[in-house]
Amino acid sequence: MASHNVPRPAIIEVKTEQSRLREQNQIDEYRALVDLIDVKITEHQYTLQVLELTSKLLSKNPEYYTVWNARRRLLTCGLFPKLSASSSPLTASQSTSQIGTTTTSSADVSSSITNSSTESKEILDNFDSQTHRKNGTTLELIKSDLGFIFPLMIQYPKCYWIWNYRLWLLKEGNARLETHIARDLWMHELALVGKMLVRDSRNFHGWGYRRNVVAELESPKLNGFSMAEAEFEYTTKMIKANLSNFSAWHRRSKLIPKLLNERKADDATRHDFLNSEFELITEAIYTDAYPYAQSVWFYYQFLMSTLIEPTGSSAINPNCTLQDRIVYLSKQLISLKDMLDGAEDCKWIYDALLEYTLVLCRMREREATPEERQDCLLWLSELRKLDPLRNGRWGDFRLAGSG
Amino acid sequence: MESLSETLWDVVIEGTGLRQSLLALALSRSDKKILHVDQHDYYGSAEAAFGLQEADEWVGNVAADSLTLPFRNASLWKAGVYGDERLSFSRAYALSLSPQIVYSTSQLLAQLVSSKVYKQLEFQAVGTWWIYDSSAIDASPSLRRIPNGREDIFEDKSIDLRAKRSLMKFLKFVVDYQSSPETWEPHATSSLPDFLSTQFKLPPHLQTVIIALALSLETPDNTTVSYSLPRIARHLTSIGVLGPGFGAVLPKWGGGAEIAQVACRAGAVGGGVYVLGTGVKDASTDADGSSDVTLSNGEVVKTKLLLRDVSSGVPSDAVIAVSRIIAVVSTSLLPLFESTIEGAPLSAVSVVVFPPNTLSTSDTANTHPIYIMAHSNETGECPGGQSVLYATTLYSSNRKALLKIAIDSLLLSTQNAADAVLYSLHYEQTAPSFGIANPLDLAFDDRMLEDVKCDWKKVVGEVDAKFMRFEDWAGMNNEQVDGDCDY
Repeated sequence: MASHNVPRPAIIEVKTEQSRLREQNQIDEYRALVDLIDVKITEHQYTLQVLELTSKLLSKNPEYYTVWNARRRLLTCGLFPKLSASSSPLTASQSTSQIGTTTTSSADVSSSITNSSTESKEILDNFDSQTHRKNGTTLELIKSDLGFIFPLMIQYPKCYWIWNYRLWLLKEGNARLETHIARDLWMHELALVGKMLVRDSRNFHGWGYRRNVVAELESPKLNGFSMAEAEFEYTTKMIKANLSNFSAWHRRSKLIPKLLNERKADDATRHDFLNSEFELITEAIYTDAYPYAQSVWFYYQFLMSTLIEPTGSSAINPNCTLQDRIVYLSKQLISLKDMLDGAEDCKWIYDALLEYTLVLCRMREREATPEERQDCLLWLSELRKLDPLRNGRWGDFRLAGSG
Repeated sequence: MESLSETLWDVVIEGTGLRQSLLALALSRSDKKILHVDQHDYYGSAEAAFGLQEADEWVGNVAADSLTLPFRNASLWKAGVYGDERLSFSRAYALSLSPQIVYSTSQLLAQLVSSKVYKQLEFQAVGTWWIYDSSAIDASPSLRRIPNGREDIFEDKSIDLRAKRSLMKFLKFVVDYQSSPETWEPHATSSLPDFLSTQFKLPPHLQTVIIALALSLETPDNTTVSYSLPRIARHLTSIGVLGPGFGAVLPKWGGGAEIAQVACRAGAVGGGVYVLGTGVKDASTDADGSSDVTLSNGEVVKTKLLLRDVSSGVPSDAVIAVSRIIAVVSTSLLPLFESTIEGAPLSAVSVVVFPPNTLSTSDTANTHPIYIMAHSNETGECPGGQSVLYATTLYSSNRKALLKIAIDSLLLSTQNAADAVLYSLHYEQTAPSFGIANPLDLAFDDRMLEDVKCDWKKVVGEVDAKFMRFEDWAGMNNEQVDGDCDY
């Protein structure tokens, strides 16, 4: 499988009798392991040994979600110390900035990514309070589990169950550990998801996970504060690394309202902000050729939608008057016509021209002029040529546009 | 122990240059009796790497004209004594005669992996490409980054919107040019600049950038479309293949020289017999087709096949020639090796292109492009705080002076003084112009592998063996192959 240009050396497998027997053995071993775990779980044997068995199985088949659930039960019903009603805050500090990987990973990548060292595991013998020990064990378990999951994540970066389990693990940390310890775990996750997104910037699992991590870090129960500025900067960085990154553009669009509110932006500032976003996306549109990338056009449509429906939840400039918006839209139409010169094969431009001309007419509360009608018919005919799969849609337009 | 003449060899290979060493590697599991000789007392032949002392000797040999083709006119200058405060001791350096970069999509890498010798090589990133721009009237000349792709172009404020679009159109075409023969085949023999301006409306300064990617030693007007399109496509499709931000690699410790070393080692492990300091003096064919080969030490050996080193003894009218300077400078040139790409490694090699007419001496400008491959000390070729510059241009009588100016200009534009040059070795190298693979190419030419395979077939005959595809030796650590580079 060609994964985003990561080469996989071709291993041509000839099914000899020898390899078939070997595979049969592997199948038998696997089945035996599944059965064993099944028995142990049914018997409520929530021990470290059974945890190891599940680790072994999940390394071979991380999609086996039942076993992930069994593992959750192992931890919550067996291995995690019981949650007390209240836990007193610790005065002593434990070094939590490093995650000791108790399972060594053969991938060079993992050792270069995690700032971990197996030397610094918590030394808990000094603390004799019950809470300390309980925190220590929970933390150890969580950390060793995170360490176990990490190489699996590298190998299977798009397995839902792995991401979900990791999230669940950290949320268990929220409930069971001291705030600052839990927070440190989440900070480490932020760094980790950053690296995962460098490996594959378009992995939506990674982006979704990042949202979750940032939400946790921002939440008051973890002494959080807003990270909108930093995250916005992050989307800028990711877009500059790959202009066709839907997730980055999408995240950017979601951050803008919050960002502007935090900046306490007045109308003039918001107007300027919108201008610079249009400049950015226009630059991105020009840095493209057939077959044109969709992602930049989606963002363009988003920006236009904030002009057309200014008071929506994605508001950039909600106090913009109708007159101002009409002026702005007209300017964009001129820019689009300009764009067409040299890119007559770009269906997106025709589509935008068509749609926004009609929107402008609506905003001006008048019918299309004959000249506008003629332009629209011309653009429609181009669209029929460039995008024949959507002929049904262009047909609908024809009926509405000629009205 | 049998003497060499008591064995009937399957093949005697002359020379341990890159091509012959790769052949030895290919034959290392074949149970053939291989005698591999080299007239020099070092491995690598025309692709060797030298410490400073060895370079001195080599220069002396080239000057004395004793069987040192394809090299000529070697001379050297040094700032001091080896081991004083400026130059370090001799063995701290590995100046390479073969600093060819290897593109990530090259078959060579795949073969080094499948033959299992990649584990003995350390590959370093070649990720930063620069072009020398002396066009600004009111500003001093500077180095500008060559964009690696769409995102670099997006960020480049010096390109206007329409030019960006034209450039993108060309990039999208060239990475898959085989699918649009109608666009380029009618212009196959046209010059690349003409093609870029008429078919893609690229302005001259963007043409220069595209032309630089082809790494052609010829002038742009003499660089054809059919020559350059595959090379540009190779450049662009290689970026990111082995990691973000770079598209080519160079083996540590001397590039091709290190590959030759490792390949010969594999040959020896496989049972080949190696004799250095011994060349082939003469050979005659027997009635049964085998050869009687007289070695330079007087011994006569019998072999079924003799493979001579084709690079020596070439008629002087059918060659191309380059002028080269290898310079050691007392600066790390760090900014040159830094990438702007997220997650990219620090380059160990930077490519700096000087387009025609960007440099001048008192009486002439450079009619041909000049290329400087800058190697940081991460390549193992020099001690920390220093770098090695490999400057190349097509040969002509005034080229040595122009190469020196190129080096000085590079130093100036990176905020260094010209007296940072500690050592400068100049030489000229020739290659047959009729050959298939060009050893003077700045990037490894995959056609050399075809030559190697051809020779390999001559030795092993029609067998069911796979070329350059081996298992690990029994008992060796069979680690998971993941194809990543150690950078």
